[in-house]
Amino acid sequence: MVDHRLLFEKAGRARFISHLDLMRTFQRAFFRAGIPIKHTEGFHPHAFISIALPLSLGYSSQCEILEFGLQAPLAGEEVVRRLNGALPEGVRVLDCYEGGRPIKQLAFLDYRVDLDYPEQSAAEQARQALEELLGRESLVVRKKTKKAKCGYTEVDVIPRIRSWSLEREGARLTLNTVLAAQNPGLNPELIVEALRAERPELAPELSWCHRREALDEAGQPFR
Amino acid sequence: MDRQLEQVLHNVQKPARYTGGEYNAVVKDRETVDFRFAFCFPDTYEIGMSNLGLRILYGVLNKMEGVWCERVFAPWGDMEDELRRTGLPLYGLESGDPIRDFDVVGFSLGYEMAYTGVLDMLDLAGLPVRAADRDEHHPLVIAGGSCAYNPEPLAAFVDVFSIGEGEEALPELVECCRKGKAEGWSRKELLRRLAQIPGMYVPSLYTVTYREDGTLASFTPEEGAPAVITKRIVGNMDQAYFPVDTIIPSTEIVHDRVMLELFRGCIRGCRFCQAGYVYRPVRSRSKELLARQGKDACRSSGYQEMTLSSLSTSDYPPLVELCDDLLDYCVPNHVSLSLPSLRADNFSMSLMQRLQTGRKSGLTFAPEAGTQRLRDAINKDVTEEDLLTSCRTAFTGGWSSVKLYFMLGLPTETDEDVLGIADLARKVYFTWRECAPDPKRGVRITVSTSCFVPKSHTPFQWEAQNTMEEYQRKVNLLRDALKRDKSITYNWHDPETSYLEAVLARGDRRLADVIEAAWRDGAKLDAWSEYFSFERWMKAFRRCGLDPSFYVHRVREKDELLPWDMITAGVRREFLWREREQCYRALITPNCRRQCTGCGANRLNGGVCDG
Ligand code: SF4
Repeated sequence: MVDHRLLFEKAGRARFISHLDLMRTFQRAFFRAGIPIKHTEGFHPHAFISIALPLSLGYSSQCEILEFGLQAPLAGEEVVRRLNGALPEGVRVLDCYEGGRPIKQLAFLDYRVDLDYPEQSAAEQARQALEELLGRESLVVRKKTKKAKCGYTEVDVIPRIRSWSLEREGARLTLNTVLAAQNPGLNPELIVEALRAERPELAPELSWCHRREALDEAGQPFR
Repeated sequence: MDRQLEQVLHNVQKPARYTGGEYNAVVKDRETVDFRFAFCFPDTYEIGMSNLGLRILYGVLNKMEGVWCERVFAPWGDMEDELRRTGLPLYGLESGDPIRDFDVVGFSLGYEMAYTGVLDMLDLAGLPVRAADRDEHHPLVIAGGSCAYNPEPLAAFVDVFSIGEGEEALPELVECCRKGKAEGWSRKELLRRLAQIPGMYVPSLYTVTYREDGTLASFTPEEGAPAVITKRIVGNMDQAYFPVDTIIPSTEIVHDRVMLELFRGCIRGCRFCQAGYVYRPVRSRSKELLARQGKDACRSSGYQEMTLSSLSTSDYPPLVELCDDLLDYCVPNHVSLSLPSLRADNFSMSLMQRLQTGRKSGLTFAPEAGTQRLRDAINKDVTEEDLLTSCRTAFTGGWSSVKLYFMLGLPTETDEDVLGIADLARKVYFTWRECAPDPKRGVRITVSTSCFVPKSHTPFQWEAQNTMEEYQRKVNLLRDALKRDKSITYNWHDPETSYLEAVLARGDRRLADVIEAAWRDGAKLDAWSEYFSFERWMKAFRRCGLDPSFYVHRVREKDELLPWDMITAGVRREFLWREREQCYRALITPNCRRQCTGCGANRLNGGVCDG
């Protein structure tokens, strides 16, 4: 059913399109691009697509993966060309290819997290604080959830971080980090949350998360 | 995107409402446009984007060289708080630029409960809410839509009302404003010139005096302003703009589908229905054009749902042929076709059965009144037999849920009419018992009532609304009558919203103070129960020393000067009065297709009416 994949980017205003809405947007985009894709069976057949590892609202990404099935053969470049004329601002297809490895082999996600501070000194203090926090054996963060009675669960972020580095430029602190993608994955926001919880005075004014690359177990780009 | 806005968007629910950037949204180059138009809808994005009128006028304005029309919707409470906290002014979705720097800020008014939203949006934009406090340094504030047929309650806030259909009137307004800008006219000069455009009502050019009893004594235009403002219409629907390439929201909206507009106007003449009178004369689109527009709109939008929208869709003469043509395209392309506003008659039912392929959801009928006498009195052309036959067809075809809508408080209503609703619902139940293919599945019959709101420009514009106590008494009567019927559920709307609607729908200029007081006290998004407070409004009336029941519970005299009498929708006042008299005799007026009864609206279209 799903024998094709798209690699696409989500940026700018499109970052605020939710996962479900993005699926709907793609279904319509395929239709208006005149690319017939496979449908589900049943009374209300709908175009079947699936997007691997939903991106949080507000994050940008250059490595999103969408699976779908073509009803009739069409060259990958043609799919890319037509779709890019049919998508809203900020969503851009980079590649379309056949097959691909099972999504469960998508092991890691490479993120860039920018933290903005009112001034340089605060950013520098935050750098030192994060360095200390991420260097610990264990760093437990409360994660909001509707499932648990108390409204949160406790997550140790350290085992889910594969690598990290920090750099500061002026009043902006950047965390480059590779995190577990699934089973269970780690949302980079939880690292910022840890900083907020442990050092409330060093909470950033603004934070921006960007997905740079999807990686497999060996750290190679996943497609 | 503005950094501060970006931060704000991280803190609110459904941020996609506030970003713009949707497919087909019109983005122009600031450097090449000389006229900025903010099209404001005083309700949420989801409601506003479902409005066909907005899509039409957005397209019409953006087709104009040098004009950039952008959309603005009322922010939900969380977003409003954030905007106020950060001091970010209300902005156009397309450019993100503050609308206080635009040339025109225009509001679409579809229902009275959005009035406080107009004030709130002006204020969020950083503009004085009262027209008197603005001048040529501020954008011109205009308003249109069905509420503009009685513009008076908003007269103090709006510079110009555009009455009727805007496709031709708005471009004329824009050209006039452009000229004024180039020649440096004062606000007053601009208003005087705008008043010369047919269909434009400039409230500040009229003086109103009142009698001691509170009714209007006189309504005097300033030198040069027209005494009567006639609504504008588009004469030929086949030449009217239809938004084939329309904006496709990136987030779900209420009517998330292709909407085809079959015709304007309505042949039925239900006496309570404002739309049925103000959209006359009847003008249809040809079926060939509609079929083409429907297919093109699906291809262009990617929508896989299409609906045929008009006041009473089954009155479109070539409806079957149109549906056949559309189905040829829809079926192979997985596009579903639906018909709203069904009449309870054989024709509509058989058509609906053909369209309905999948799951059989509920059916909705609106008999409006419980007895034939009252249905005749309001000219609702549906018989009990029509309704029961339609239900029989539906139940036999496998439907097992029917919703029935009624109004309480219609003119001439007695308790017998109220109890007639219970009888009718029971007959629907017995019909189901007779013909249900699978009685074990059970049936759900829902009866809903709302409190009738008399509207301007209808035969009932002189009527009183029932008091809330009277409405509640009737609700109790009906509830008790239906108590034992386990398969019938009775829901009633609370009368408070209807009461306020009745005040605003037929109010005069003095209501401006009340609207402003309610808004200053926190009223906004009044159509939403999350925000609506009846007490807040009553407080505002008390503070302004106005008695709302003057507007709601008073029967007007035949010759009383009504606040909206300077506006005509083409239908003669005498025609409306005659219809009212027919009501009291429980006499029906034949529908326009059987016989033209000379309402006068055809004069607007060179004598042509498709009714
Ligand atoms: S002009 Fe005649 S046919 Fe047309 S709407 Fe009026 S009454 Fe009906």
